[in-house]
Amino acid sequence: MPDVITQAKWDKAAPSFDIMASKGAEERWLPAKRELFSHMGDGKILFLALGTGLDIAAFPTGRNITAIDISPKMLEVAADRIEGYDGSIDARVMDVHEMDFEDDSFDQIYTSCTFCSVPNPVAGLKALKRVLKADGVLRMFEHTGSNFYPFKLMMTLMTQISRKLGPDMNRTTVANVKAAGFEVTEVNNLFLDVVKTIQARKAP
Amino acid sequence: MDHRLYFVLGDLFANLLAGAIVGLLCWLIVSPGWNMFVAMIVMMMIGMLIATVLWIPCSVLFGAMEVMVPMMLSGMVSGMVISMSLAMEQLSAATCFSFGAICGLASIVVVWVLNSAMRGTEPVRWR
Repeated sequence: MPDVITQAKWDKAAPSFDIMASKGAEERWLPAKRELFSHMGDGKILFLALGTGLDIAAFPTGRNITAIDISPKMLEVAADRIEGYDGSIDARVMDVHEMDFEDDSFDQIYTSCTFCSVPNPVAGLKALKRVLKADGVLRMFEHTGSNFYPFKLMMTLMTQISRKLGPDMNRTTVANVKAAGFEVTEVNNLFLDVVKTIQARKAP
Repeated sequence: MDHRLYFVLGDLFANLLAGAIVGLLCWLIVSPGWNMFVAMIVMMMIGMLIATVLWIPCSVLFGAMEVMVPMMLSGMVSGMVISMSLAMEQLSAATCFSFGAICGLASIVVVWVLNSAMRGTEPVRWR
């Protein structure tokens, strides 16, 4: 059974999500996301937490993508963007902790501002590792906490408010990826040490 | 820093605004006679909170983390500097507003410099 509390939180955010996120953040991040997603290959791709589909604008065309999200309301908002994608997106309501895919199903997995919100991030990453093929690649676009004062303090304080409405601001996502058993091959800081891309592989 | 003019101007606007508003708030709350340390702590915290509220409309236009982190810093620095000054002597509202904006400008410049140093691929041995 999916996490109904998390599902309800994102169902509630769905109608207004694009107002907050679609212009400033997405325009700012579009070049970096395009570069990250340009690595999407011809094999089976899993995209975690599609949300309202704002990331679809950065996808390369012609890919075969399975996308999941815990919130059915988010995927309802994403419907037009999914329909308009020049390729294949199979969007499903699914909790990352309870994915019903077989082991070693996907060649690549992508996430975008997801592991700031997944309630049990290490468990979620372990679940991704299960469905990723040996030597498969995980690529992530994430915002995390900072290692530097005073940013670390500010983001920890901000998280007390933000987690009630949306994401945490102080996650240690790189450490979580390692804790889940991935081999981290690259961390690229885009804004301070807060916004970054992470590349990891599932060792054979 | 983002080199696109829209975001450069947006960052400047957001941080000048946060610093100036917090400076004005300090003028409304703090007066000579306050304990300087108490004034600093109180207005640092209030400054961060007000900057977070101001971040919401700014984030719609200019972005998320790239706006939130500098604005919170601007609010904190403006709150700290202006409140400490007000605890020592009475200042005009215009002075607090202006000096608060300067604190915001200094904060975003610091963030831009730090960002230039931190951007890029992290060395393998530090991961």
